[in-house]
Amino acid sequence: MLVEVRPTKKLRGARALDLTACLSPIVDALCEDALDLSRLRLVCDWVQYKNNFRDVIDVRPILTPAARNGGNAEPDEDNLEIAVDLRRCADTNLADVVRNVLARRGEPEGLERVYLEDWSTGTTSRIWEFNSLYWRFLGVWEKATGRLYEQALPGGESDARNIAGVHELIKEMFVVWDDLAAHNALPDELYVIELGVGNGNQAKTWLDEFAKLDAEHGAEYYRRLHYMMCDYSEHVLALARENVSDHAAHVSSFALDATTPMTALGFLRYKVFLVYISNVYDNLPTEDVAQIGGHTYRAEIRAYVAKADAERIAEEFGLEPGKLVGAIDKLLSLGPELLVDALSAQFPDVTRAAAFWMAVWDALKLEERYAPMSGLDLYEIAPGVNGEMLRPLLERHGDVRMQVSNGAIASFVDTLPLLHPYGRLQCHDIFVTDPHQYRTGFLGPGKYDGSIVNWVNGPLLQHIGRRKGFDVGYAPFAHRSGTNIVTLTAQVRD
Amino acid sequence: MTQEAAHSTKQSNSSNLPLLPTTVVGSYSVPEWLERLKTDYYLHRISPAHLAEIHDVAIKAAIKDQEQAGIDVVSDGELRRDNDIDYLLARIPGVSIRDTNKSYYYDYYDAEVPEPLPTGDTSTLGLVDDFVFTRSQTDRPIKFSFTGPFSLSRRIRNSAYSDRADLVRSLAHALNAEARELVAAGATRLQIDEPFLAGYPDDAGLAIDAINLVTKDVEADWALHVCYGNRYARPSWEGHYDFLFPAVLDADVGTLVLEFARKGYGDLSLFKRYPWERRLGLGVVDVKSEDVETADVVASRIRRALDVVPAERLIVNPDCGLRHLPAFVARAKLKAMVAGAAAVRQELSVPSKPARAEPSAPTLTEES
Repeated sequence: MLVEVRPTKKLRGARALDLTACLSPIVDALCEDALDLSRLRLVCDWVQYKNNFRDVIDVRPILTPAARNGGNAEPDEDNLEIAVDLRRCADTNLADVVRNVLARRGEPEGLERVYLEDWSTGTTSRIWEFNSLYWRFLGVWEKATGRLYEQALPGGESDARNIAGVHELIKEMFVVWDDLAAHNALPDELYVIELGVGNGNQAKTWLDEFAKLDAEHGAEYYRRLHYMMCDYSEHVLALARENVSDHAAHVSSFALDATTPMTALGFLRYKVFLVYISNVYDNLPTEDVAQIGGHTYRAEIRAYVAKADAERIAEEFGLEPGKLVGAIDKLLSLGPELLVDALSAQFPDVTRAAAFWMAVWDALKLEERYAPMSGLDLYEIAPGVNGEMLRPLLERHGDVRMQVSNGAIASFVDTLPLLHPYGRLQCHDIFVTDPHQYRTGFLGPGKYDGSIVNWVNGPLLQHIGRRKGFDVGYAPFAHRSGTNIVTLTAQVRD
Repeated sequence: MTQEAAHSTKQSNSSNLPLLPTTVVGSYSVPEWLERLKTDYYLHRISPAHLAEIHDVAIKAAIKDQEQAGIDVVSDGELRRDNDIDYLLARIPGVSIRDTNKSYYYDYYDAEVPEPLPTGDTSTLGLVDDFVFTRSQTDRPIKFSFTGPFSLSRRIRNSAYSDRADLVRSLAHALNAEARELVAAGATRLQIDEPFLAGYPDDAGLAIDAINLVTKDVEADWALHVCYGNRYARPSWEGHYDFLFPAVLDADVGTLVLEFARKGYGDLSLFKRYPWERRLGLGVVDVKSEDVETADVVASRIRRALDVVPAERLIVNPDCGLRHLPAFVARAKLKAMVAGAAAVRQELSVPSKPARAEPSAPTLTEES
């Protein structure tokens, strides 16, 4: 049996975790079962997100490759991973939980769980519909919770509005532009793009400071500046436009999906001097891959609500238990406002619909299993990026599970063509910067308010960036201490 | 002596080609599996012997693709090369590369010239073997290209020469010796690539002087290719070809091969402003985009160039090497290019004349 304990930092110090107390009842319960223990993987995480998609103990089947090409992978009763959340162990009768989850293996599906979908590859899971719903109806959510989304971020504000960081960036751009101007190579129009502009606070700070620094610099770059604000949400774009109204002549706004910026901005290919992105990548769809025993697997997921939670929610909102999934479908397809029209008896107003949304979101969990991959080259990480890019990471680091950060990579590779040869992409986010972090920490998914958060696979972005001709560097966020935020900078290499 | 006469020897060997001949700039699509195998070589996972066999097979396929597309003057696709710089630098005596490991085959080495390059070194750079293999695989005319001295110098840490121009000239001498070997082995069409020149427009005069050292006393049909870079399918610089003129008028080459399709054809006006009475290799397909041009688009681009360069002096080629394009895209672009050239050729009422076979160098067997 392989036991992998990832949060090793928790094992030392004054408040050290009593690992033996956690593992002993689990192992005892496992020994009671007829399971082939020699093939069992017991992986222990510390899930730091209080709201997350996991149970204290989850069982993840590891499927066996099909005997023939084109066949389906098959379950193997004894090939299992048992995942433990050590943070919640102290409050749980672990032996009972283990006995319970093992006993359920042979039962028909659906006795204890209400599934919202069939097995999916991760990025196609319905959890991303919830994530999308949050951004589309952010105003409804904010009203229901009584706080703005920035207040839900760790530290209570976005790192984007940091004046010292903004000054540094602008001054570095001035140096590049001065040099290009000296060689008669500076374009007439100077483009800056912000992806995920949110309420426009960062854009306003940036433009205010740019105008000020340009006046001091004296090159009249502000006159030539075009600032393109982009966001998925029309709601926040409207707020952002209002916020930067002092600079209206220099600002355009685009509602677009951050994973496909070229669809709207293709006319700016090779013309953009700065693409600025803050806290967007961690919220984009991702899948997980795992190397287990020398084979590569894709983590498949299936969203569910525990039967007890489903019954409680149904009762609270006057739904027949069998109609709960249908109501969730309507919520996801129509949004909370139209849900009031569709199911007016249960949801007389938007407040009530929002309460239903929040209750379901709170109860939402993910079941997982590992499906064997038939070749990395056949796996599409993002359009134009195949799974071969994962090979160095998977081959060099033994048995490891990691996020692929598909959405972030799609966004990244679709952004790079925008950059002028002297352009730069700067991105603040929670990046994994060393693959070893996958062995020592839980990196998502978690729930941030109504959205999903995953750490972003920095080494993979770095590797893909290199293959696209860019140097990708990471540095701790320089302008605020005590933050997990890391700054990615990508610039043309060679 | 007129400019035309001065460069007459550099324009030989074109009489057996049709009007508006089609060719490639040099590199051909590098399949992802080949990139992986090349990287495996640099990670010491496969031997040089295995890699050489892999290259042989890939080059045969690249030549076949070009032939099937109807390209008149083909290349080996530069498929043996790790990149445009290091394949040469690693072979030039006096260039020091301390760390020859690469995590990705296409990366550049950190090259240094600690002492002035040795003079009188008779060792060759090995390009002749590449040419001879290619010659053995096709009856079509072959273009053989290599990176020029100016661009090579930009990837070298120079600790030897107080004047960087001396480094450029020393590299040019090494390339001149190799060019002589190539011609002795039967090469007739040679091309110098200067992908870095557009980034250093003030150095155009130096670069042209060095090119003339490379071509000196080498009786071949010489071409000079200047683009805005194609590293990782991106332009490394932006700008206009103004910087090349008038310096390039002194280049001892018969053809100037330029990038237009991606940038637009505004710079064709330079050929009205300056007396370039030699050939123009017109870039008609964008190698940085996977969108395949139609034959009509290609034809319209050729017609536009005919306003400033007569058909007898126009060669049709992609903007740059095709290395970053998937093979199916590269094939489609070449076919469109050939069809577009054929359409214009027909309009000009000149019967299409197929490329004649050139005398082969001694045939290499698979085993040799």
